[in-house]
Amino acid sequence: MKFYNNNKILILFVLPAFILYSTFVLYPAIGGFWYSLTDWNGLNPAYEYVGFSNYSRLLEDKAFINSLIFTTKYTMYMVILQNFIAFCLALLVESVNKGKIVLRTIFFFPNMISMVIGGFIWVFIFTQFFPYIGEFLGIQVLTESWISDTSRSFTSILMVSLWGGVGYLMIIYIAALQSIPKELIEAAQLDGANKGQVILHIIRPLIMNAFTIGIFISLSSSFKVFDQVYAVTGGGPGRATQVISMNIFAEAFGFQYKYGYASAKAVVLFVVILIITSIQLYIMKDKEVEA
Amino acid sequence: MNKILIKYFLSPIKILLVVFAIGFTLLPIYLALINSFKSNGEIFTNVLSLPSKLNFENYIDAFVRTRYIESLTNTVVLVLISLTGIVLFSSMAGYKLSRTKTKLSKILFTVFVISMLIPFHSMMIGLVKVSNTLNVSGSIYGLGIIYIGLGVPMAIFLYHGFSKNIPKEIEDAARIDGCSEWQLFRKVIFPLQLPITATIIVINGLWIWNDFLLPMLMLTRRENYTIVLSTKMLFGEYTSDWSKILALLILALLPVILVYIFLQKFIVKGISDGAIK
Repeated sequence: MKFYNNNKILILFVLPAFILYSTFVLYPAIGGFWYSLTDWNGLNPAYEYVGFSNYSRLLEDKAFINSLIFTTKYTMYMVILQNFIAFCLALLVESVNKGKIVLRTIFFFPNMISMVIGGFIWVFIFTQFFPYIGEFLGIQVLTESWISDTSRSFTSILMVSLWGGVGYLMIIYIAALQSIPKELIEAAQLDGANKGQVILHIIRPLIMNAFTIGIFISLSSSFKVFDQVYAVTGGGPGRATQVISMNIFAEAFGFQYKYGYASAKAVVLFVVILIITSIQLYIMKDKEVEA
Repeated sequence: MNKILIKYFLSPIKILLVVFAIGFTLLPIYLALINSFKSNGEIFTNVLSLPSKLNFENYIDAFVRTRYIESLTNTVVLVLISLTGIVLFSSMAGYKLSRTKTKLSKILFTVFVISMLIPFHSMMIGLVKVSNTLNVSGSIYGLGIIYIGLGVPMAIFLYHGFSKNIPKEIEDAARIDGCSEWQLFRKVIFPLQLPITATIIVINGLWIWNDFLLPMLMLTRRENYTIVLSTKMLFGEYTSDWSKILALLILALLPVILVYIFLQKFIVKGISDGAIK
């Protein structure tokens, strides 16, 4: 009864949140894992337990393997480019005398809009604007398709994602830059440090914290990317840009409703993200320094 | 402090970069805007030019065809329901979880927070099944309830961290004065949590307003569509009718742009606080 006395109020306060959470998050997540062990296809109410055979099928599923590889490639590019550009923008904004807020407002704007809408706008740019400019300026590559061409579609997705994604990281880096105490920099300069040394030995360690956050965010969100790919290429041409989330989506809600099989893929996605971000955090936490 | 950073950058390169960055950021919106006023023929001939006359036809067409008012209302209602639920339930839970130092409390907290690692795609299939079984799919209200469940973990995490900073003396004083736990929460604690509530409203409001996949899976009837979902409508039928499509896209962006212009400082602060935690 001690348990009841100590926890009575806690349970009351937590109950509403817990009910909704377990119904719509816990149960589906665990259910997802259970479905991955069956051969359920959504149209047929009866299904059978098939153990891990869905998972072994995955190893031979070329489309899935390809989307894993493609998503990894996309993520690598995104993590590097997104953080680099965001950091440069942060530096740019912080180093300006006037108009910091205006600049920040402008650069953050693409983050505010849905990437589906942003994606659609970019489809317009790719299909109408690029060819127009290309003919006008005589730049051949712009006149060709950026969406239905296998190699360029990767670049176009990258562009749209960067356009919509750097603003968020930029805000984080701006906050980090603003938190560097200027006394440290001044002291170092008095001691005769030059530009490069100040950047390398003073600024960099103090903002490592922000880099950990930034890389973590871009890592996990790039792996899960969906909206802009859906809007710009829809996974095409063919399956050329089919990222994992689109592969799962197509498997589950495309033509065949292979819920069981798709659930197995979803579990794999979860495990992959878990492993990669755990590794990333582990490596980077070591390098952080308290000011 | 920022003047010191200035020394590290050469002015002309800086100006160039700034101009390029602004251009790249705003060009898509600008192009969408000016071309939404043109007819298709005009777009085809010259994409860059300002429209020869402001052709509002496209807007009226988009407005009517996609039932703009309806989707706007739907989206607003959805966000209101979700935010109310998330804020109310999470503030209660997060507060009590941080104050009660029992084993159950720790277990519950872990159970809540652990789901932040699960990508949406890994639970979406189960979610579809559950909502069909419970009959919550297909309506904005049901969707709102689902979003409450989805948004509660991170909100609890934030409320939990924030509530640690509320001095216990305030609670003790209120209890001595005869407050019940609920009164204490409602009149003392919750008002003190307002800063983090603001952050949570911003982050969740933005996400839910712009979300696409979940509404697409749940809402099958057009009259229930959210704004973002309604943009998809024009693409099925009109593959190249850009003048209408662009008008719709601009209409869809309008609420967000307005909110952003007025609340921009607020929003940015909310996002940066949330991210760092």
